[in-house]
Amino acid sequence: MTQENNTNTIILGIGNILLGDEGVGCHVINFIENNYIWDGINIVDGGTGGFHLLSYFRDYSKMIIIDATMDGKQVGTVSILEPKYASDFPTALSAHDIGLRDLIETAVLSGGLPKIILITISIEKIQNMVMTLSPEIEKSILNVVKKIEKILKIN
Amino acid sequence: MPKRIVVDPITRIEGHLRVEAEVKNGKIVDAYSSGTMVRGIELILKGRDPRDAWAFTERVCGVCTTVHALASVRTVENALDIKIPPNAELVRNLMFCAQYMQDHVVHFYHLHALDWVDVVSALSADPNKTSAIAQSISDWPRSSPKYFGDVQKRLANFVESGQLGIFANGYWGHPAYKLPPEVNLIGVTHYLEALEWQKEVIKIHTILGGKNPHPNYLVGGAPCSININEANALNMERLAIIHQKLVEAKQFIDEVYIPDLLAIAPYYLDWAGIGGGVSNYLAYGDLPTNGYSDVSSFKLPRGVILNRDLSKVIEIDPTDEEQIKEYIAHSWYDYSDGNKAGKHPWSGETKLNYTGPKPPYEHLNVDSKYSWLKTPRWNNHAMEVGPLSRMLVAYAKGDKDVVGLVDTVLTKLNAPVEALFSTLGRTAARGIESAVIANWALGFYDQLIANIKNGDSRMSNMEKWEPSTWPKEAKGVGLTEAPRGALAHWIVIKDEKIDNYQLVVPTTWNASPRDSEGKRSAYEEALIGTPVADTEQPLEIIRTIHSFDPCLACAVHLYDEKGTYVHNVETF
Repeated sequence: MTQENNTNTIILGIGNILLGDEGVGCHVINFIENNYIWDGINIVDGGTGGFHLLSYFRDYSKMIIIDATMDGKQVGTVSILEPKYASDFPTALSAHDIGLRDLIETAVLSGGLPKIILITISIEKIQNMVMTLSPEIEKSILNVVKKIEKILKIN
Repeated sequence: MPKRIVVDPITRIEGHLRVEAEVKNGKIVDAYSSGTMVRGIELILKGRDPRDAWAFTERVCGVCTTVHALASVRTVENALDIKIPPNAELVRNLMFCAQYMQDHVVHFYHLHALDWVDVVSALSADPNKTSAIAQSISDWPRSSPKYFGDVQKRLANFVESGQLGIFANGYWGHPAYKLPPEVNLIGVTHYLEALEWQKEVIKIHTILGGKNPHPNYLVGGAPCSININEANALNMERLAIIHQKLVEAKQFIDEVYIPDLLAIAPYYLDWAGIGGGVSNYLAYGDLPTNGYSDVSSFKLPRGVILNRDLSKVIEIDPTDEEQIKEYIAHSWYDYSDGNKAGKHPWSGETKLNYTGPKPPYEHLNVDSKYSWLKTPRWNNHAMEVGPLSRMLVAYAKGDKDVVGLVDTVLTKLNAPVEALFSTLGRTAARGIESAVIANWALGFYDQLIANIKNGDSRMSNMEKWEPSTWPKEAKGVGLTEAPRGALAHWIVIKDEKIDNYQLVVPTTWNASPRDSEGKRSAYEEALIGTPVADTEQPLEIIRTIHSFDPCLACAVHLYDEKGTYVHNVETF
């Protein structure tokens, strides 16, 4: 069972858990925390952290970012993007106070980006003040985890 | 007929604050501030375990993630009469100070400086002259001509790449920018340094709160155990990291932030006469040193100043249901006893009723309701909250640290004390507060170490953790000062669950619409008389509004106004 050296990797889920499906990135992190033991891999529920998250872009050489997107694809679709420039990132959903894109631009300006793999989950809309996920999004979590295992070569 | 101009959004990064201002003969004659997203956190908390409320409330905002948690644990502790141990108070104070230093610096450099500093002009600065100026105002080591030259090159590459990114929203070249290119280059350089710096100071939250963002809190104390020899506890190694971060933070504030503020301000002294606003100031105060119930022990004192009269500080009682009330005459809510009523938060209601225009719209109907923010009043007065209010209350009460620094800054700028009541005064107060807090933080650290050395490792009081020990019904209020102003949570607990929960957040005080008597709140009032040179590029409006450090994310969470707005509002 080969496992890459992943100690310099961080998995960062972002979103707002008060906005239903928009918070799926955080739900994925909680799911991993409760169900898996992955040696040496760092996971963080980044919530709506904004500039507070900048240190993770500096302290790790590889990041897997998990976020919701309203890209019009079928609800629950899990996509993998390898953005290189700030403009490759999807426009932030409005509920993140300082959006992912703002954060990426800031990181670029102040010294460059680590290798970033962005996993997005397509949601239909931001629900206001709902703590639960819709069934399609709930189902997508396991799918996200499988993709992460593949990326990190965890068997 | 005045020309109505609209600024939306007004926050530099993201936000949901809209300002409509009427300009006549180059000056603002009237202004309307509107929160265009609705907050519904009150609805989500109803029926939940009061001990969990902090974890939900701290998610409403990504900027000040910790202050809502602090207000929340305090409101539950107040309701259930729980006293926390001294170490827990110190840990909370240290987290408070770390938040302030990080947030004020980020505000100054990343959310406000570019209203005064022209990024594009910095490209034509002479690095030698820049270095000479930098060395004349501070001992900060990174100040060589080569250093500034390198930053300038990096900036030029960034601008040339066409991806202006976070600089894209500036009105570069606007005639209201007054700094010489060299001072602009210093500002931009420190913008970049501050980005790196802020991520270090906030690691204090990771150590004391277990994680960052959204650190952990605990009703009854602090969720970290002290054991100086234990790898997973708050041990000597971690305490030493905290100390190092505090020392570095103080150095940055003293040697970069304050000198920059003093270097920029002289070019903008006209702004000491603009943007004054409501002339009443409210601070709940914070940083207790003898338990939260002993208000006289607060390092940041509590009180109200009316009509800019610094000879008198009036006491506040947040439990007096006549003092603080919220009005909805111009807000998209309904009250069971009518549109004109004011409600204390303990009997507060959150019944949404959007009656505004269907987006996209050109103008709000300001004669009726025009905001998702309610309008809070203290004894019927419109109040300003924030660093200026806190520093004025501390100054009026004679706090020697604050008086000393305020007087030093005023002397250096050759400005009278009245200069504080302005856009520039607000921005200066934030810097002064950062410097004072940086000192106090080291004092809290020393006290924590002294307690540990004396064998006191108590971090929580769990006597009333079990709901079976609670009264059938209890009411509480939890106050704190978010970096951007007075923050309070009110709770009603019934049968071990939350029966009512209301937040009155700083931006609600400052950015709210008129009250039922037509009196303006702080933003609207502060804009009256502001000159606007070019209505297509209303930089002056942004300067004054940013000086308040708006955070609409928590004031009016959370709705995407581009969505099916009206329809969705009806569904909850």
